Amino acid sequence: MIQVNNLTFSYSKKPFIEGLSFEVKAGEIFGFLGPSGAGKSTVQKILLGMLPNYEGSAVVGSVECKKHGSNFYQNIGVDFEYSTMYEKLSARENLEFFSSLYRLRHRSIDELLMAVGLENDADKRVADFSKGMKSRLNFIKALVHDPKLLFLDEPTSGLDPTNSRLMKDMILEEKRRGKTILLTTHNMQDATELCDRVAFIVGGKLFALDSPHNLIMSKGAAKVTYTWIENGEQSASCDLTEMAGDKKLRNLIAENRLQSIHSSEPTLNDIFMEITGKTLV
Amino acid sequence: MLTIDKRFINLLRWDLRFQARYGFYLLYVLLTVFYTLVLFAIPGSWKEKTAAMLIFSDPAAMGLFFMGAIVLLEKSQKVTSYFAITPMKAREYVWSKVLSLSAISLVVATILATVAGYTAIFPLLVGTFLASAIFTLCGIIVATKISSLNQFILATVPIEIIGFVPAILHIFGVTGSIADRLYPANVCMDMIMGDRPFAAGLLLTVALIALLLQVACRSVLKMWQEQGGVKL
Ligand SMILES: Nc1ncnc2c1ncn2[C@@H]1O[C@H](COP(=O)(O)OP(=O)(O)OP(=O)(O)O)[C@@H](O)[C@H]1O
Ligand SMILES: [Mg+2]
Repeated sequence: MIQVNNLTFSYSKKPFIEGLSFEVKAGEIFGFLGPSGAGKSTVQKILLGMLPNYEGSAVVGSVECKKHGSNFYQNIGVDFEYSTMYEKLSARENLEFFSSLYRLRHRSIDELLMAVGLENDADKRVADFSKGMKSRLNFIKALVHDPKLLFLDEPTSGLDPTNSRLMKDMILEEKRRGKTILLTTHNMQDATELCDRVAFIVGGKLFALDSPHNLIMSKGAAKVTYTWIENGEQSASCDLTEMAGDKKLRNLIAENRLQSIHSSEPTLNDIFMEITGKTLV
Repeated sequence: MLTIDKRFINLLRWDLRFQARYGFYLLYVLLTVFYTLVLFAIPGSWKEKTAAMLIFSDPAAMGLFFMGAIVLLEKSQKVTSYFAITPMKAREYVWSKVLSLSAISLVVATILATVAGYTAIFPLLVGTFLASAIFTLCGIIVATKISSLNQFILATVPIEIIGFVPAILHIFGVTGSIADRLYPANVCMDMIMGDRPFAAGLLLTVALIALLLQVACRSVLKMWQEQGGVKL
């Protein structure tokens, strides 16, 4: 669906995105993970044909992004990281207006509003919406024309846990409907849960690209951490697979002196730190 | 050429609806009532020229200021950056604005001309439309390049002067050279007054509009692709 090859781009003279290559397969959810300023939104904008001054190639569908015509957008839906709505019009009017710009396959606006719990606010002016309501509306705006490819820029940021859950379920539902989805996020948990594959990006460069599961498994095994009392509280840890060989642990178990014991798998967050040397937030 | 498809018709319909919602029509009803009262109040010999001035000033103000208001509003609500990723073409956006705004000017012009007792309505409508197109296109071009209302007002002052003053001098016959009758604003004014415009002048006016159209489309596309919003 998307092939990026040796992509190079900068807003200024200073190099920014350099030699970026990756591929997004049809039907997958592909995540861009990286700290603020990493270039996540920039890569999305290049793929959307909004920044035509790049070098290398970026092909979406079968179109080179910088050479697209206006029909390029018939099958693309975008949820920007900010609200893009006429504030004086109602939610329904906004959705009707934006869907009227597309040729085919309009989805039912009522159903979409219902899906994000806005059915009772459909005729309210967007200016009177809360931030979370605007985010949800902005998201379904990207769906009105039933596009094959979705670009979501931080779809869950600023949402409360309930709405964040709802949004994630809707993203997974769009995947089931056969869409290809490219999203950006700072949130490792969301990425682990949603994405088939993730790309770690820092300072415009790609550091890793794999499924969250593989990334977690490839680096760092699960660890066991235990504590006991000996001149105050002490703690130690070992790999889960080496537990039997840990003398101290065996002694503590034999003497029934363990205060606590727990195992933990590394999170995508730990892996991100390990690979890029940066934290996400 | 403009290929008219359903999207363009939709766009035009929505533009009319936005303009109603944002109070443009209400404002123009009030203005038209006021202008009509003015026309009734002044002596007969002045009626025709005053009406011409009012009719001409109207698309000038409308195209420039309303276009500025529309674009600034869209920028502030970041709708502009969304347009960049819809199938809408800059050309469709521009034409829709030109047609929807000139529709108001044409209605107002017809009413005022009738009140002032004009008979040559057809040239008047053509003149009004051309003037409206010129000013709306200038309004679009300026609005795409600025980021605040103050900047916009400052930038439109010279356009008002260049577009307006020669045309006013022209109807009062202050200047009367041939060059004067080639000047696009004056060509529009001639037609509003019911005079036959110079063919060369008319040609020049149409050429100017074609040029402004090109520039406007390019400016709009550039504006859509720039992410920067504005604060009002
Ligand atoms: N229009 C622009 N002109 C110049 N520089 C820009 C522009 N947009 C972004 N940048 C710069 O490019 C860099 C990457 O920005 P980008 O928006 O791609 O980051 P991001 O990874 O999406 O960050 P965030 O998580 O905060 O959204 C930043 O340093 C930013 O200042
Ligand atoms: Mg971003």
